[in-house]
Amino acid sequence: MTAPNDATAPTRRTFLALSGATAGLASLGMAAWAQNNVEIDVDAVTNTTHATDVLVIGGGMAGLFAAVKAHDAGAATMIVSKGRLGSSGLTPFGKGFFVFDPATETGTIGDFVAAVSRSALGTNNPVYTRQLAEHSLDRARELTDWGFFDQTLANRPFMRPITERAIPLLERVVITHLIKEDGRIAGAAGFRLDAEETVTIRAKSVILCTGAGGFKPNGFPLGDLTHDGSIMAYQIGAKITGKEWNDGHSTRSTNPAACYDGWGDMFERIPSTNGVEVHHDLGVDINYRAYMTGNPVAGGPGAEQPTDEIAGGPFVPEEFKNRAPPEGGGPGGKGGAPGGPPPGFSPGANVGGASAGMAIHKSEGLVPVDDRCASNIPGLYAAGDALGSHMAGGIYTQIGSSLAGSAVQGAIAGEAAAEYAGLADTPVIPDARIAEIVAEILAPLRREAGYGPAWVTQTLQGIMIPNFVLYIKKGTMMQAALAYVEELRDHHAPMLRAANMHELRLAFETRNMILSAEMKLRASLMRTESRCSHYRLDYPELDDENWRAWINIHQSADGSMQLEKQPFDAWPI
Amino acid sequence: MTIKSINGCIGCEECVKSCPCDVIRMERGKAVIAYPADCQICHLCRMYCPVDAIEMAPEKSIPVIVPWG
Repeated sequence: MTAPNDATAPTRRTFLALSGATAGLASLGMAAWAQNNVEIDVDAVTNTTHATDVLVIGGGMAGLFAAVKAHDAGAATMIVSKGRLGSSGLTPFGKGFFVFDPATETGTIGDFVAAVSRSALGTNNPVYTRQLAEHSLDRARELTDWGFFDQTLANRPFMRPITERAIPLLERVVITHLIKEDGRIAGAAGFRLDAEETVTIRAKSVILCTGAGGFKPNGFPLGDLTHDGSIMAYQIGAKITGKEWNDGHSTRSTNPAACYDGWGDMFERIPSTNGVEVHHDLGVDINYRAYMTGNPVAGGPGAEQPTDEIAGGPFVPEEFKNRAPPEGGGPGGKGGAPGGPPPGFSPGANVGGASAGMAIHKSEGLVPVDDRCASNIPGLYAAGDALGSHMAGGIYTQIGSSLAGSAVQGAIAGEAAAEYAGLADTPVIPDARIAEIVAEILAPLRREAGYGPAWVTQTLQGIMIPNFVLYIKKGTMMQAALAYVEELRDHHAPMLRAANMHELRLAFETRNMILSAEMKLRASLMRTESRCSHYRLDYPELDDENWRAWINIHQSADGSMQLEKQPFDAWPI
Repeated sequence: MTIKSINGCIGCEECVKSCPCDVIRMERGKAVIAYPADCQICHLCRMYCPVDAIEMAPEKSIPVIVPWG
């Protein structure tokens, strides 16, 4: 549907009034099964190929540093992003940048790491926590040089180092496949949004800076993040971790989808730095309160958080109790108290789930096999929210660590990938393999009829977003949800239709969200305890005897999803 | 409603590029609201627009699913 220029998009109300709810939804592409009125000539779609040493996928804070550092280490480097550098994913939203400055901090880095570990109940990987603190000041200085802390919009300062280095940048290109040949990474493939064209990129090394993801929830700028990197990596054998954790951001009951109106201050603010400030935030406390006491939750956004005790609920270490949220404790630092009030906006009843389907920053993603952001696939790295580094653990600990962590890990991964590429042979991708991938990419466009991605996404949201599924967890309910998700996986994902390149993107995003939902349910079922942002009514206590471990997920040879424990103090085997 | 209207577009494509959800496309040299159902109401298009051509509204154009009502 295209609205004419200088005209007004139809409101939901006018749609409903004019045509009835069902017809209105169909007009918005919400039809379930329908004929595919394909708008392009699929046989005329061309394939463009590129080659590079290091391919960075994603244009946020991690992608920026990955590209700059890989280039500076001597590797031919290319960035590809389905959006725009600095203007997609959570990067435009993160405005607080944690800096450990030894000149001003009273404690040591060791003290900082210990505080994070106490808050995170051991779920953090202290190697990555320490690395964050050690490198944060250097990254902040570079960002200062590029003008990042002088303005609101990140695209311009991000473009400075990229333009200076003439690093090739492909924007609005959606990557759908990672390519593995002879047991190591060989490149990636996808398609352009603005042309009827598939894209194949041969690369010696790939760094996933693809961010986190959710179920396209309402009230948070996650609409473009669907765990694409994790799912692509999973499909070539990478291990994925942290899927049982939650992020507990809320929104308002009035216009809950309006993320700017709830969190607009985060977009409008000029970025700034902050020092050590360790909390135990953004878990599921408010979800528990709503579950137990009904709704709306007393003291919604704009009001003081309720302080009366309710029995049971998520465990909060004594040291981190009764701490007033900092002036703005949202993701990336200041800008709204955790689980509650977006700053500066009118009060209203609170609704959780603004970030439904997302875990705490950097707790969910590819399993690192070392301290340099390497995955278990040779040549494949990840950084930022795409890497399950557990830098902060399964709860939001250090304020401003999300943005800083992406910068730090992007730089580490960039140097590591460049080093790997310097020793690697140029990969060979057989033509037959490329043809097979291109056919997979274009399949939703070729279907004469199929399920609309928007409808499948809304069905998935209806299964996964309610408070009693992934926030306040119970084995029986998660088993029920898993049955629904398996149905979507087996019977809907293979029959998604797309009429154009926009819908093709939605089709792949929908597929990725379904697989992420399955991972989240299976990991949450396996973790028979409660810890940090994972809370089970049927296993409400911490179980240190059995669960001082992360859960790693991989695809077995028969295609099934396998889960295994990895002890907190160990790297994967 | 999401992104509500574009009036006075100069065709610079800043909004098309800055939209994370591919809501806006170019048609005959001007930006148009192509896929309003996918708007996440983040206002980045409005903030990047050099001539303040974009008006926003807080209502979503499709049903909204939240954990509790």
